Amino acid sequence: MATKPDFSQEVSNLLYASEGNPLKRCIQCGTCSGTCPVAGFMDLTPRRLIAMINAGLKDEVLASNTFWCCASCYHCTVRCPSNIDIAEAMYALKRYSMWKNQYQEGLIGPIFSETFVKMIVKSGRSYEPVLAPTYIFSYGIREFFQEAYTATNLMLKGRLPVLPPRIKRLENFRRMIGRIIPLGDLT
Amino acid sequence: MKQYAYFPGCSLEKIALSYHLSAIETTRKLDVELKELDDWNCCGATAYFHVDELLAYTLCARNLAMAERVGLDLVAPCSGCYKNMYFTSAHLQRDPDLAEHVNFALEEDNLHFSGKTAVRHLIEVFVNEVGLDEIKSKVSHPLRDLRVIPYYGCQILRPRKDHENVEEPQFFEGLLSAIGADPVDYPHKLRCCGGSLIITNRLAALSMVRNLLQSAVDCEAAVIATACPMCQVNLECYQQQINQEFGTKFFMPVVYFTQLVGLSFGIPPKRLGIGSELVSATPVLSWIQKSKQEN
Amino acid sequence: MTEKVGVYVCHCGTNIAKTVDVVEVARWAEDQPNVEVARDNKFMCSSLGQAQIEEDIRERGLTRVVVASCSPHMHEKTFRAACEQAGLNPFLFEMANIREHDSWITEDRAAATLKAKALIKGAIERVVHHQPLEPVPVDINPSTMIVGGGIAGISAALELANAGYHVYLVEREPSIGGHMAQLDKTFPTLDCSACILTPRMVEVGQHPNITLLTWSEVEAVDGYLGNFTVSVRKKARFVDERYCTGCGICIEKCPHKVVDEIFEAGLGNRKVIYRPFPQAVPKYPVIDKEHCVYFLRGKCKACQIFCPTTPNSIDFDQQDEMLKLQVGNIILATGYDLFDSRRIPQYGYGRLANVFTSLEFERLVNAAGPTSGRIVLRDMQTQPNSIGIVHCVGSRDENYHVYCSKVCCMYSLKFAHLVHERIPGAEVYNFYIDMRTPGKGYEEFYHRLLDEETHFIRGKAAEVTDSARLPGEEGKLIIQVEDTLIGKQRRIPVDMVILSPAMEARYDSREVTKLFRMGCDFDGFFIERHPKLDPVATMTEGIYIAGACQGPKDIPDSVAQGAAASARVAGLISRGTVFMEPVRAHIDAEACSGCRICNSMCPYNAIIFHEDEKVSEVITALCQGCGTCVAACPSASITGAHFTNDQILSQIEGILWDVREPLAVPV
Repeated sequence: MATKPDFSQEVSNLLYASEGNPLKRCIQCGTCSGTCPVAGFMDLTPRRLIAMINAGLKDEVLASNTFWCCASCYHCTVRCPSNIDIAEAMYALKRYSMWKNQYQEGLIGPIFSETFVKMIVKSGRSYEPVLAPTYIFSYGIREFFQEAYTATNLMLKGRLPVLPPRIKRLENFRRMIGRIIPLGDLT
Repeated sequence: MKQYAYFPGCSLEKIALSYHLSAIETTRKLDVELKELDDWNCCGATAYFHVDELLAYTLCARNLAMAERVGLDLVAPCSGCYKNMYFTSAHLQRDPDLAEHVNFALEEDNLHFSGKTAVRHLIEVFVNEVGLDEIKSKVSHPLRDLRVIPYYGCQILRPRKDHENVEEPQFFEGLLSAIGADPVDYPHKLRCCGGSLIITNRLAALSMVRNLLQSAVDCEAAVIATACPMCQVNLECYQQQINQEFGTKFFMPVVYFTQLVGLSFGIPPKRLGIGSELVSATPVLSWIQKSKQEN
Repeated sequence: MTEKVGVYVCHCGTNIAKTVDVVEVARWAEDQPNVEVARDNKFMCSSLGQAQIEEDIRERGLTRVVVASCSPHMHEKTFRAACEQAGLNPFLFEMANIREHDSWITEDRAAATLKAKALIKGAIERVVHHQPLEPVPVDINPSTMIVGGGIAGISAALELANAGYHVYLVEREPSIGGHMAQLDKTFPTLDCSACILTPRMVEVGQHPNITLLTWSEVEAVDGYLGNFTVSVRKKARFVDERYCTGCGICIEKCPHKVVDEIFEAGLGNRKVIYRPFPQAVPKYPVIDKEHCVYFLRGKCKACQIFCPTTPNSIDFDQQDEMLKLQVGNIILATGYDLFDSRRIPQYGYGRLANVFTSLEFERLVNAAGPTSGRIVLRDMQTQPNSIGIVHCVGSRDENYHVYCSKVCCMYSLKFAHLVHERIPGAEVYNFYIDMRTPGKGYEEFYHRLLDEETHFIRGKAAEVTDSARLPGEEGKLIIQVEDTLIGKQRRIPVDMVILSPAMEARYDSREVTKLFRMGCDFDGFFIERHPKLDPVATMTEGIYIAGACQGPKDIPDSVAQGAAASARVAGLISRGTVFMEPVRAHIDAEACSGCRICNSMCPYNAIIFHEDEKVSEVITALCQGCGTCVAACPSASITGAHFTNDQILSQIEGILWDVREPLAVPV
């Protein structure tokens, strides 16, 4: 008889097996949080997050900003004494969070990721200016002007793309994506 | 002439154009041909993996399959692209079910992945394929012990691929020494620059960059050398903002390792894209100028 | 002649009965040819079960017995004893394993029952071909060799010597004492290590029953239980033990110093002619040939010039001595190495000057050490005011050693205490994952450290760096860690960092196992015969292990194991003769053609060739019954007792009892 997977198993299922990525092996040593360069910006440290995953506290986990702060530097992963791929677990949580549309209010990460994916589907390439609006209006006026200043300088140095690039075989590309997930309203 | 399928990645088109220019110039001098992969698509960076893993692998697999079709190993100058492509290839080779699923999608573009292509980072080509001795022999303008920081960044070495040294690598230092520079013993050479957070968590990223720059200044370095466009942009283009935010006075030039290699080969700076920085690399140039005069 | 076989099928509670229909199997067995009686029983190994077998042998005149139950490893001995009690030769017994080989590997009742029948039929067919056998007597040489002169080896040696038996104690270094001699204080009593160790060392040195061979190594081991021939190389000390009085003038006068990598852990120097430490046993110094100016350039000879004895004790022409020693048993007590902390670059050992390992710190803190017990930084001068002690370096880590090294928490606490004692007011931080204090007085010791206001931070140190970022970090070593009990990343600046690395197996432990023909595990520690019930014996008869070479452990456990190994050996010696399993090979001299193929095949060198008669012979006591020669002999002149061709082939036919088609079996 099939049993409903618990939250820890759900997260593990969203990982492409780093040899099974044994979250349950965590001995709570704290090496990951001690190494993490962004730990100071997270409301819950990575170690604590894993303890909460193992305890099944789904809503609290999804309400934290921890995994959206992850810089994906993998330093935790290479140092973990239990060989847990913590960075990948953070990716899994991002995917879970986007799938369930459940995340902390005010975070830019989810919107940015969605925009990015739509952009790739549209053209096969990334194009920075398209991404700008996603955050400019989330930040304040000061940040807007700072970013505009930097962008202008880059443009003057010829480093900002003007026209969005696209790949040639875009139709095939879209159909290829469609074979993995239905594109639906992404097109 | 050794040939590679060259995967520039989205950033090398404009924002990191100098990396592309200097890569082409230096590899040409070393008898290596970087043939741009026709119709390559974005590797997915980090954002694609936030949405769907299978889809992200498919994006990378398309590039790998195209490289396989032209029968060349794939070379990526960007650490992010390199990491994505390398691990996609590794996972697909190890898991035939995953490969089957992805190949099913690739059929729509008449492509097939079978894992025959090796994936290399551009700096690997310099250090392992060409070799430091060969590079040294082509140096006509050694960099006169210029104090350079070998900034590896994070995704070039992590996650671990084999049993390589992920905590104390020395290959970047080796390359810098070969071109006559003085590699600095930089305690944060493996630290992340926050590249993926620059938009989604601006403050965190700027904080990380600030620590890196402060440490660079403490080490009395003249310039930071990077091997990834994300690192270069993060370290260089936001120094003004960091100075405003934290009250610092950073003005540290950040260049690509290929630009330094190119300068040591005597290639004119303009051809290496020097001049397009927001933080001018003129101090670096004038240091090396003296080398030209003394030779 | 037909035999009368008794067949006993065990339920083993539900272990077998749940899957195998034991009642049916017993009923079926009774109908088989040669079977006199077949019974089933809830627990054959119980007294009742055994009594049943004995009764049947006596009352029914059984000539053979088959028990179908668990693995022979469990109860073959039990049932053989039962047979013997009733007057039946114990080797006229056979076991069929219908548990580990049947009921425990499937849930299919029909298949399991069928297999049980096949196994029992095989056993019945085989056992009728069994012959009565007598165990082989082996005399035990009362001398014992103990390899390794640390605390475990010393304890073992004293136990045996005090029992009146002779011991050779072989030690690689110039003096016995091992790692314990390097320590300052021992936990949890804070006894001075040398004070409790040296009396034992002296006792060993003076004991009439102990032949001490230091600066010596075992090079070859031949023979078998009770009769080992061990080749020992007694390396040249270049000091003549017959005349040397141990006055030490040579050491004083030697003009050349080298860094002492071994005893002083690289922190101090020693002379080229040296004793590892002042209380060394034996007292004779040793010349370090590789650094001695005389051996390198033919100059100096200060030691010889100043040696006061007549004749002179310095002998530059001394040669290594090869000894061939006869012993009955060997105890290995070769100790441990410390994990190399350079393998973890993020802790900075080797790169950052003021990061120390535990053994380095032991030498610093030792009153007889390079700083006379003052705790100072690498400059050998400055006293640190804040110290960080990092637990679990190289242990509890899939990247290095998975195991917990058992003693590091305790010695880390000891270090914290010593710092409080020597540097009052110093800030001491211990960074741990779990606090493991399982021994007598250990938890109380932890409380003592809590009372001394040690800062305990629960978090495995992520990295040690000298790159200052925040105020107060300039010029210090910073330990970055997550304080997991608070849930925040912290940076703790300290003057000195002490790493607590794991105990690991000696670098050459694998070579040693090959030499002594026993085994080690994946971590290199020697393997005991049974992890729970037999921690000091090995799978090789006559070879025992004791101390840290078997796994990380503290001093009381090492002493206990040394004594246990000695007790085992003493038991054998006092019996004088031991009986070995008669499962051996025998060569029919009449049939042997002298081709000598078996000679080279034998893995135990147990076959000799008689030149005069041109036939081979098996040395029964050396033979381990592996069967290689039996199979290799082209003229089938070799019989393996208890594994004859008839026995094996009948067993096979019995197992295949229900195969319908005739099989082409070459006879």
